[in-house]
Amino acid sequence: MARMKFLCDADRCIECNACVTACKNEHDVPWGINRRRVVTINDGKPGERSVSMACMHCTDAPCAAVCPVSCFYTTDDAVVLHSKELCIGCGYCFYACPFGAPQYPRVGNFGTRGKMDKCTYCSGGPLADNSVEEYAAYGANRLAQGKLPLCAEMCSTKALLAGDSAMIATIYKERVLKRGYGSGAWGWQTAYKETVAV
Amino acid sequence: MLIKRRSQDATRSRLAGLAGGLTSGVMDRRTFLARSGLGVAGAAAVGALSLGAVRRAEAISPPEPGVAITIRKNICTHCSVGCTVRAEVQNGVWTGQEPAWESPINRGTHCAKGASVREIVHGERRVKYPMKLVGGQWQRISWDQAFNEIGDKMLDIRAKSGADSVYILGSAKFTNEASYLLRKFAAFWGTNNVDHQARICHSTTVAGVANTWGYGAQTNSYNDIRNAKTMIIMGGNPAEAHPVSLQHVLSGKEINRANMIVIDPRMTRTAAHATEYVRIRSGTDIPVIWGLMWHIIKNGWEDKDFLAKRVYGMSEALKEVEKWDPKTVEDVTGVPGAQLERVAKMFATEKPSTLIWCMGATQHSVGTANVRAYCTLLLLTGNVGKEGTGANIFRGHTNVQGATDLGLDVSNLPLYYGLVEGAWRHWARVWDVPYDYFVSRFDDVPAKAGRAARTAKQNMEVSGIPSTRWFDATLLPTDQVDQKDNIKAMFVMGHGGNTIPRVPGAVEGLGKLEMLVIIDPHPTNFVSLHNRRDGTYVLPACTSFECDGTRTASNRSLQWGEKIVEPIFESANDYWIIYKFAQKLGFATEMFKNIKLVKGKFGDEPEAESLLREINRGGWSTGYTGQSPERLKAHMANQGKFDIVSLRAPKDAADVGGDYYGLPWPCWGKPEVRHPGTHILYNTNLRIMDGGGAFRPRFGLERNGETLLAQNSWNLDSPIQDGYPEFTYAVFQRLGWDADLTPEERATIEQIGGGNPGTVSWSTDLSGGIQRVCLEKNVCPFGNGKARAIAWNLPDPVPVHREPIYTPRPDLVAKYPTRADERTLRMPNLGATYQNGAVASGIAKSFPIILTSGRLVEFEGGGEETRSNKWLAELQQDMFVEINPRDAGQRGIVDGQWVWVAGPEGARARVKALVTERVGPGVAWMPFHFGGWYQGVDQRGNYPPGASPIVLGESVNTITTYGYDPVTGMHEGKATLCQIQAA
Amino acid sequence: MRNPLRSLAMALLFALACGVAAPAVAQQPDSVNPTASSVQERQLIEALRAGTPGTGTTLSGRITIPDRNAANLVQPQGQAWRAFHQGAMHWVGAIAILGMLAVLVVFYLVRGRVRLEKGFSGVKIVRFSAFERMIHWLVAGSFIILALSGLNVTIGKFILLPLVGEDAFATLSEWAKYSHNYLAWPFMLGIAGMFLVWIGHNIPSRLDWEWLRRGGGIIGHDHPPARKFNAGQKGVFWAVMIGGAALSVSGIFLIFPFVSGGVLAMQFWNIIHGLAGVLLIAVILAHIYIGTLGMEGALEAMTIGEVDLNWAKEHHSLWVEEVASRSRKLPPGAAQPAE
Repeated sequence: MARMKFLCDADRCIECNACVTACKNEHDVPWGINRRRVVTINDGKPGERSVSMACMHCTDAPCAAVCPVSCFYTTDDAVVLHSKELCIGCGYCFYACPFGAPQYPRVGNFGTRGKMDKCTYCSGGPLADNSVEEYAAYGANRLAQGKLPLCAEMCSTKALLAGDSAMIATIYKERVLKRGYGSGAWGWQTAYKETVAV
Repeated sequence: MLIKRRSQDATRSRLAGLAGGLTSGVMDRRTFLARSGLGVAGAAAVGALSLGAVRRAEAISPPEPGVAITIRKNICTHCSVGCTVRAEVQNGVWTGQEPAWESPINRGTHCAKGASVREIVHGERRVKYPMKLVGGQWQRISWDQAFNEIGDKMLDIRAKSGADSVYILGSAKFTNEASYLLRKFAAFWGTNNVDHQARICHSTTVAGVANTWGYGAQTNSYNDIRNAKTMIIMGGNPAEAHPVSLQHVLSGKEINRANMIVIDPRMTRTAAHATEYVRIRSGTDIPVIWGLMWHIIKNGWEDKDFLAKRVYGMSEALKEVEKWDPKTVEDVTGVPGAQLERVAKMFATEKPSTLIWCMGATQHSVGTANVRAYCTLLLLTGNVGKEGTGANIFRGHTNVQGATDLGLDVSNLPLYYGLVEGAWRHWARVWDVPYDYFVSRFDDVPAKAGRAARTAKQNMEVSGIPSTRWFDATLLPTDQVDQKDNIKAMFVMGHGGNTIPRVPGAVEGLGKLEMLVIIDPHPTNFVSLHNRRDGTYVLPACTSFECDGTRTASNRSLQWGEKIVEPIFESANDYWIIYKFAQKLGFATEMFKNIKLVKGKFGDEPEAESLLREINRGGWSTGYTGQSPERLKAHMANQGKFDIVSLRAPKDAADVGGDYYGLPWPCWGKPEVRHPGTHILYNTNLRIMDGGGAFRPRFGLERNGETLLAQNSWNLDSPIQDGYPEFTYAVFQRLGWDADLTPEERATIEQIGGGNPGTVSWSTDLSGGIQRVCLEKNVCPFGNGKARAIAWNLPDPVPVHREPIYTPRPDLVAKYPTRADERTLRMPNLGATYQNGAVASGIAKSFPIILTSGRLVEFEGGGEETRSNKWLAELQQDMFVEINPRDAGQRGIVDGQWVWVAGPEGARARVKALVTERVGPGVAWMPFHFGGWYQGVDQRGNYPPGASPIVLGESVNTITTYGYDPVTGMHEGKATLCQIQAA
Repeated sequence: MRNPLRSLAMALLFALACGVAAPAVAQQPDSVNPTASSVQERQLIEALRAGTPGTGTTLSGRITIPDRNAANLVQPQGQAWRAFHQGAMHWVGAIAILGMLAVLVVFYLVRGRVRLEKGFSGVKIVRFSAFERMIHWLVAGSFIILALSGLNVTIGKFILLPLVGEDAFATLSEWAKYSHNYLAWPFMLGIAGMFLVWIGHNIPSRLDWEWLRRGGGIIGHDHPPARKFNAGQKGVFWAVMIGGAALSVSGIFLIFPFVSGGVLAMQFWNIIHGLAGVLLIAVILAHIYIGTLGMEGALEAMTIGEVDLNWAKEHHSLWVEEVASRSRKLPPGAAQPAE
């Protein structure tokens, strides 16, 4: 079985936000929910780099560990998903997530923040694959159709890689070797306790 | 395969409530309202985005499981890269967008705009039906009423003031066919006042480049940049403006370990990936280029062989270069000599090198000169006409190249034939309409203010008013406007109102118009700016995605875009709209006599294929003849067969064998000749039938006793091993090649030539015989000439530095003044008056910050379309000004606070401060996509109900200032001054 | 793992101190090679770990959407919070609550119920007015639900989830969350009322020292003198006040997310809330014990509001005197001084 991961090559990322709107387009994600976002470090200064970030689908996911209702589960592809049916919108996963992935429909709430929403690695949720219900609650299920997440597929400079861990690590390694520089596989150490050695 | 933890979940009873998880309660409405600056009045409109139930009804259509999917391909409209959009259509509804892996241009990828185009077609905020303003209120009308009322008013204006008083503005988002049709429409109406966005993006590029080596277009391609070993990106931020091009740029940089040098006043997202970033002062491009050339000459790095064979007049240019020693350059531009020498060495010695530019180069009062200086650098280093080299001009819209090619321009008929009598006669022949008919359609211009009168024939050969000056042509005294009368009506199809500087002038001009017609998917800023109560129409054009036809990408490749869905709401495509107006105005029969009409949404409409065939019949000068609908459709169907570097399909590939992708023009001869198109212009290393060529000798054969034809240079295997002029029937006869023409071809030539068939040339021979034989003989139809470093027909034959009109260095104005006041393009150009006035009144002291502008990746152009797209609007919710921390600190401004930016001509804009080191001290930068606020006032109420963009903001052009290029009328949008204070 | 609470608290303080820390204005060199000087994630993370000044507390940058949390790229404190929440929090909770229960059980077995030395006199004395009782029960009632729902969100998945199944547990937890969010308001109101009504009786005095020195007389048959509230009860009062305030403040910041700052602040207030919660639960367990099972004659004070005179004399001798001196309407025999 594949071990799916994201890898953002910051030396390619130009903060074009294609990943962000591709995600919105594919899943019809509403305003205010940002399953994926691009952050620019050292903005305007030498060394500036942009990084596209979403749920990294961690090994030993902190969100799952702290969830009071155990609504998270990991698929055989190592994708961390959750059930909105079980989610109570407590916000704990947001506190624990190193990457700020969990999103909530309401911000300044009193009473409830609504069901948590996050990147599904384009693989839906616990409902029937590619059903209307699954789309409404979690968005499209591309993985079940044999397709990878649209954010990575549409990345303008092919900075954002998605796919089996070994495969995308190899692509990244080859790139770094060829060009002679690389700012690292952002988030990998935090998410997987390992990084891409180059 | 995914494992479902609980596969039975789908049937659970709580499902219905659950389904709302993602789609209901979707937004913190209060936050959104606060951020979007919506008052209570706007709340109802926004409700559609925030309330689950409403949203569900109007939501973008989700995919429907089990319903058959049709794939349709079109081209993204948001820049010139030409990304294929692969749409999934179910039951006539666009339900999904998939990566178009097979496109050799974008290889599946998109930027933020391309990845969200589906929303634009679903557009809740589009114009939904024809409307007119009655006593300040928007009223729904029918299309018929619109055609009748507008047509009657046009005829009324024509009778009173003349045909030139209706200004026709087209669009770079048109297809080639619509561009062509609108240009033809203007010709039938009888005016050269027809323009589009190229005026304000690359008109100076087209003029500068065409005057250097023949054609006004990108010489190579995005893909070819992968071959470059050194690239300079100057005055461009493709990471935001053309993100997908960066795929090729960065791949090239990585594979070749290429030098990537960004020269810009601003440390852009592109500069972040450069190997060298050079910060310059806005408006000093020529000194920078001359400074680079100074080092190249001093060190002997120039390409002497190339100069001898293929360049004329370099020595004259070098006389100007001599003045720009490193000390002078550093004083004027701020770039240290050592850095410039390093860059010069890389560019001249680590070849192939390419120079990439955008509007940072073009939007200046010296725009054309800037471009020519760039070209001169390329010529000096021999970096033209080979792989990995060239002037890689990144244009701004899907089809700004095509719309330019097809003559949506005040000084050209389609395909650069110009406005001379021969050009008119050529198109009259193609259109099968007597030449005299067109003469009869133009105004006689009376003598005014000491200028001689013009007959209708003379008037039809005089360039029109550039779009940058339309409001001056409305407001100035009639005798200042060199045509029968002022502009009385604006007929605007797909063009924003906030993209041209001096918005206060535009506001005044709008008030004075007798009629304003806006035909657009979105109301555009013309609507928000106006202070009118009547005589204003907004008609719903469909988007380019709802329209068949071809689009020419920046690299000259044509791509056939399919109508993805039928135009939604009451919107209609451009072909039908133009056809209906032609009908109303009484010339449809003549205009459409050879164009097939097919059944469309509202009845008969011109067929895109048929329009392209007519373009093919007339487009000899630019090689728009070989791209038949069939060939282009075959390319779209076989995209995967083209190489991503060379853009060429293998010779044995079915249908497209040996072709370059999109048959980049020139694609000589008739389609059946199967010319492959020209990937790299002026490339002598190939046979003509493989896309080879040479510089085009269009400036004469010799000057001052020196030949303008190539010397010891010719395309591969050329039978004529020297320079040669363009091919005419007379030349054919001298060479004996006329024997190779078929009798039919000869008959056509003789018919065209009348009494003098010898003058019929490769560009006017409608039989295509001359081009066919040239291809067979392996010679270049337009000849084999030299590029020129001196353009004696232009102001400043050798580019000279001239300070911006509003310069932060008034001390330099005496030495580098702008050009003296003069009249260009029917209008006075008072640059010197403005510049001297600014110096005399100490503007540089009271407005000490340089203001420049540019693109954001999320928005495009005037931004109405993209700011109406909720997926994009969310990413940029406020207009802002980038200000350096030093300047912000001095003014007590913190990041994110509201500030006033004041311009030297009296207007001001209320925007948010973005404190960043992207801009240097003393420099501010603003994006140009915002509109809908004017000097602190929200104008949402001016929009038709429900059609205002989600995000509104001040337009930077409210504060940008006077300054026009003498050749094209390009505005000076990239170098002015401002002052900033906390609001 | 370093003490996660400390590191979080420090990080939070640091963040608050910096405010919107403006980036240090470095003199921008004229010429740069942005590729060569590209930032490495490893260096940034190491700088964060080492607490290098100027690096801030999270790995963050600029983002265009107006959500300051979104500008955080990586926040390592999330893992520290997780470690606390899934580790220390459970231990502290277990020790506090189970420890207290154990102590109470042992105490009960050793000491048994504290009975009235002289038995019931049959004479009642008013101890708490209806208003006082209402406030008490307002706080008590809401606190019990808050405590249970709070415990549920912390450890329910280990205890209840296996018993009832995930759907029922999720439904229950959701209702528990709603009740927690809504009952917080009556709880806070009650705490405020309690403070106003009883603060006068809860100022620490010399007597408390004596009472404490004598161990409250719990062991043996000693009865140190006390006014209306003895030192033990004052302790409960102040525990409820301080704990209640901590719970209220932290709770408000949790219920209105990101009012107090970013995710660091949320983690910080969550930790405060959790710790205050379990500690207060432990205290209240003792309070409940002594008020019910642990002491004969105590419960009526909060149910009917009257206590037996003998009970009052034994446990609140000075209060009885005070009441007596203030009122002539004491029942017969009540005027006798306590032993």
